[in-house]
Amino acid sequence: MKFHLSHLQAMLLFALMISVAFGFLSRRRPLDRVKYIAWSLLLFLLFGIGIGWAMYPFSR
Amino acid sequence: MADETQIAAAPPRDNKREARAIAFGVAGWLVPGLGHALQRMWGRALTFFAVVGVLVFVGAGMRGNLFNSQSGDAFAALGYLADLGTGGFYWLAKYIEVGGPDVSHAYGDYGTRFLAAAGVLNLLAALHAYEAARGRKA
Repeated sequence: MKFHLSHLQAMLLFALMISVAFGFLSRRRPLDRVKYIAWSLLLFLLFGIGIGWAMYPFSR
Repeated sequence: MADETQIAAAPPRDNKREARAIAFGVAGWLVPGLGHALQRMWGRALTFFAVVGVLVFVGAGMRGNLFNSQSGDAFAALGYLADLGTGGFYWLAKYIEVGGPDVSHAYGDYGTRFLAAAGVLNLLAALHAYEAARGRKA
């Protein structure tokens, strides 16, 4: 069995899984969990893509 | 006098609770989510089982490096500890990854991170199950 995920797909999956796990770990009420997961996912993606672009000038 | 009897009776109950909490923590480490399932926290149990399972499944499928006890340096030892955090899923990952690791591609490297993250998350979940059984977490 092999998975060939692109950089973006791997980042999306990783961010989603970690956000969901942290949401369930740290919040008890469903609405609070949803809010936490959404925020965490957004920040993961924002920082991931931001750092990716910040490294772009040094990529070649 | 009655108060003294109650105070004297308290430690054995605490010891029993502590032993139960440790058992839940170990169960949660061995099978992701089991520590919460035994406490009827079904949402958390299913979530941790699914999240750790997906990370291990995809990480092994991407041919990430699954460290073993014979790895030489300190980073490999830390990686082994993180991988062991997945509990029973460590052997599942070994079973899935029949071709061995391949970190010559980016996805193999990502797979290594997925496996380590799954282990660390599962350790956090097991610790949460232990604390919940002690009544210190909701």
